[in-house]
Amino acid sequence: MQTWRIREPVMWLCEEITGNRKTYGMNLIGGVRRDITAAQKPKILEVVDRIEKEWLKVIDAIQGDTPLMMRLEGVGVLSHADAVDYCVTGPTARGSGVAIDSRVDHPYCAYDYLVPEKKVQKGCDNLARTLVRLEETLESIRLVRQGVQELPDGSIMANIPEEIPPGKEGVRVVEAPRGESVHYVLTGENNRPYRWKVRAPSYMNLASVPAMIMGQELADVPISIASYDPCFSCTERLEVVDRKRGAIRIYTNEELTELSREKTINRK
Amino acid sequence: MFMSKLKEALICLKAGRVTAAFPLGPEPHPPGDWYRGKIAVDVEKCIGCGGCANVCPARLIEITDDGPQRIIEYFLKRCTYCGRCAEVCPEDAIAMTREYQLATNLNDDLYIRTELYMGPCGRCGRCFKPASPLDKMMVTGFRNQSEGK
Repeated sequence: MQTWRIREPVMWLCEEITGNRKTYGMNLIGGVRRDITAAQKPKILEVVDRIEKEWLKVIDAIQGDTPLMMRLEGVGVLSHADAVDYCVTGPTARGSGVAIDSRVDHPYCAYDYLVPEKKVQKGCDNLARTLVRLEETLESIRLVRQGVQELPDGSIMANIPEEIPPGKEGVRVVEAPRGESVHYVLTGENNRPYRWKVRAPSYMNLASVPAMIMGQELADVPISIASYDPCFSCTERLEVVDRKRGAIRIYTNEELTELSREKTINRK
Repeated sequence: MFMSKLKEALICLKAGRVTAAFPLGPEPHPPGDWYRGKIAVDVEKCIGCGGCANVCPARLIEITDDGPQRIIEYFLKRCTYCGRCAEVCPEDAIAMTREYQLATNLNDDLYIRTELYMGPCGRCGRCFKPASPLDKMMVTGFRNQSEGK
């Protein structure tokens, strides 16, 4: 829980820069809506310094924690070959020795100037994925610091006088905290999108779970699933297999909601 | 192992008590000027241009015309608090307040309805421009009359 406490100043900072803790609403076509003011810069740097100090302490503390290491080491092994086969991305892939990071491989936005270092671990287990995340936090702190210090002055919004033509497509890979997030857009009439498709990184990472938990004890399954930091709201589908009959049934979001409602009513 | 447990305990002890008894106690981190909370609509300023409905990404602002009246409804349960409506409003009729405690059981708590008298087109009867104050009074009557004085 201490990591949540350490994170909290970041949320306050996000609120001050963008206007909200989570739903930032910053990006528009052509730029961003709010600039980082001169008064905010020292504030950001101060918060970042404090977080780095506290984070190093956390890393130092948990590294000798034998019970924690026993839960992580050699558990939830996703081999390099499996990682490639299942197309996992982000820290899950980097924990299995697959050196992919779309910020480096396909630089976008300011990543031409801010080059992150790929943190790759070859352990393939839960520990490797945890280590990748621990190290990447420090790497992110470095990038934020460099970004704030080298932020150029100038306009934050491009002038787009014409309407966006309909029927044009765009695809972009963005490195999210969990991996590659792919957005596809097809423009429509009246300056509006006609179709928007998002492929969240948890979609591929979740598919690798069977390989990850194969032959494990049941108690290790939750920590293995948690090791790739699933965002279940990104992948809200469930398939139930009746092994005797071999029948497969896919539950949709609505059915699941209905089932959970029934359960709640029955409990009363 | 004991060293690491000690270190972990030290981090926790140094942090002390972090949680705050918020709804009962004071706000731990009150939002500043930058915060985008629930929107507030000033009907007096609204000219019914519909810019907010056009720009709203969640499409929660609905405009319906009923004769000379333009009804603008805000279904705030879908609001993402992006503040685009307040940004584009030419008359500053929409403002982002700092109100954030919006959890409710009632849809009506997150619903704003404004009725606006517009100048109707003489031929088709549809709204096309905001009425002048004089036009308004010719139809709605003077304030004194409507109050029955």
